[in-house]
Amino acid sequence: MGSGAMTNPIPDLGNAQCIFIIGSNLTENHPIVSQWVLDAKESGAKIIAADPRYTPTVWMADIFLQLKPGTDIALLNGLMHIIIKEKLYNQDFINRRTTGFAQLQEAVEEYDPSMVEEITGVSSHLLREAAGLYAQAKAAGIVYCMGITQHTCGHDNVLSCSNLALLCGQVGRPGTGVLPLRGQTNVQGACDMGALAGFLPGYVNVADPNGRERIARLWGRENLPDQPGLTVVEMMNAAWEGKIKGIYVMGENPLVSDPHSHHVEEALKKLDFLVVQDMFLSETAQLAHIVLPAASWVEKEGSLTNTERRVQWARKAIHPIDETKADWQIICQVANQLGLQYNYACPEDILHEINKVIPAYSGITPERIKGRAGGLIWPCPTFDHPGTPILHSETFRTADGLGKFIPVKHQPPAELTDEEYPLLLTTGRVVMHYNAGSMTRRSAPLLKRSPELFVEIHPRDARKLGISAHEEVKIITRRGDTLARANITSKLSPGIVFMPFHFAGTNILTIDALDKRAKIPEFKVAACRITKNI
Amino acid sequence: MERCPASFEVPLGGAARVEGEKMKVIFMDLNRCIYCRTCEVACEREHDRHTHMSVVLLNERYSVPMNCRHCEKSPCVVVCPTRALTRLGNGPVITETMKCIGCRLCAMVCPFGVPEFDSSSGVMRKCDQCIHRLNEGKAPACVVTCPARALTYDEVDTIMQKVKERAAKAIISGVGLEPGVLVRPPDSRH
Repeated sequence: MGSGAMTNPIPDLGNAQCIFIIGSNLTENHPIVSQWVLDAKESGAKIIAADPRYTPTVWMADIFLQLKPGTDIALLNGLMHIIIKEKLYNQDFINRRTTGFAQLQEAVEEYDPSMVEEITGVSSHLLREAAGLYAQAKAAGIVYCMGITQHTCGHDNVLSCSNLALLCGQVGRPGTGVLPLRGQTNVQGACDMGALAGFLPGYVNVADPNGRERIARLWGRENLPDQPGLTVVEMMNAAWEGKIKGIYVMGENPLVSDPHSHHVEEALKKLDFLVVQDMFLSETAQLAHIVLPAASWVEKEGSLTNTERRVQWARKAIHPIDETKADWQIICQVANQLGLQYNYACPEDILHEINKVIPAYSGITPERIKGRAGGLIWPCPTFDHPGTPILHSETFRTADGLGKFIPVKHQPPAELTDEEYPLLLTTGRVVMHYNAGSMTRRSAPLLKRSPELFVEIHPRDARKLGISAHEEVKIITRRGDTLARANITSKLSPGIVFMPFHFAGTNILTIDALDKRAKIPEFKVAACRITKNI
Repeated sequence: MERCPASFEVPLGGAARVEGEKMKVIFMDLNRCIYCRTCEVACEREHDRHTHMSVVLLNERYSVPMNCRHCEKSPCVVVCPTRALTRLGNGPVITETMKCIGCRLCAMVCPFGVPEFDSSSGVMRKCDQCIHRLNEGKAPACVVTCPARALTYDEVDTIMQKVKERAAKAIISGVGLEPGVLVRPPDSRH
């Protein structure tokens, strides 16, 4: 479709007649979003949830597709197979707005329900039911999250979601679309600003000479690098190999949040220079040569772009405590010491520059969004533009304006279970904690409700291993081992275990295999074994 | 010295019930509760680290936020030997902690297991509907914080009217009222 963002805003889910949630435990991880899913349900919408676990998100579902981790493409191709066979697709939309339908048709041909059932574990009658509901709803939306992206086939999983939406013409109207939920207040904004290895602000590819030149001119520079940099896991590998000598970490705790923690620790310890800018002395900050104290969100001001592409102005509630500073101030001071000239007096100056550099943000000035509840949703190219809550209503953001079917095939995860490591470990989050836990593990009310690392295991597996409820067990993978409290539950299928990554330990176990394109690590699938801790 | 509880600062004693005026209640929509427990944490923040809301999870499927129902005929008020428990006019049943002797009788008679014993101060504690917020014209903290909008603070008749309208809409659009019939709790699935 040509855009890496939610096509429709969150409240628009309330207009859907069918919501297909895949790889998202939104009631725990984006609780606010459940408001509109529940509203839609109350208005008669059907909810389909695809997840390996029976999470509170699945409570909302009319149809639960309990797939094996790492089999999303097979599931999605299976849905498309049924939709094509039963002629439930939107021929008019396909004719007018897309290219590549024939290739898609060919690619999903082999994914008949019995083959899909074998790969995914989802019964064919549920698959048919789900296909019918999604394709035939007047307006149907797809919501996805890390359950789709954190795979070695994450990029292809995303394409698969996009193919399904195009096939049924479920895009460009209220209540439709593809909605990837982003986890942080400003992670969409960070991507928009070019805080990515291969992109300049506004998703200008570093390999694009014209785009590069335009931005270089605006920044008063001769030229900008034409080669992509490294993504986070690649950086850790480069540090481990001694190719990177220094890393500057901001608001991130890679020692807990990156896969294969032992490797990350070794890599960080090999660095000549590690700077960590954080609110707290996190696990990573404890390894740093210099820690720069950053202010919290209540102590700073500026614009934020949330998961809906909505740009809002956040005011500070209190002045920064002690010697902490807002991140932008710290970055400016460091840059100026390096001889660069970062002459921003206030966050407004920064947004004014964004207005000049990123066309989609041209009309989103501090003056406009400061007095406006709900801010503005990009693209907003001019000062009188009302913003664009729904993308792709007329054309897609591709060269020819057409949506492209890009067929993909099921690919097994990087690590499969075997005799030595017979259980499939998948990781995720719980409602009480946020990311690496740097903040939430410091909150007494949250910590007392979720105090320690646990592993969810099916009663059948627990019985086989002689594990009783709440017993401390050892989880072992090829990367290392860790201890966790056994939480025996039928939320997941036998053979699959789940651990949240908010506590140091889980990512000792995860694999650092990456998606070929997006370079996202496969947090969702690893092979492990569990023993009693004796 | 123990910090004076917020509820004690409220003028009390014999506020007569007003005829015809209805009490507002915290109403739970059990179909909307997602077991995020945000209400518990919000309550804890408002009540000096004591929570008076407790979300109970059954069968890993049914989430029920349990708090004081502020019963019309409150057993706790009836049995309280020191009259520490009183109803504020048509409002909430609250505890005057200075009068409470910690006998726990209220806990014994409460059908919902609401009153909790605070061992640090030796008194019983329970939901006061955030009386300090009500006095400022604000709704209870649990209600305004609930991200799923499962909690509502209103007169029961007003809420029931909304439920009626929703059910009527469902009947008209031919949508079944039984939620999630294809999804069963995990226990029955394996």
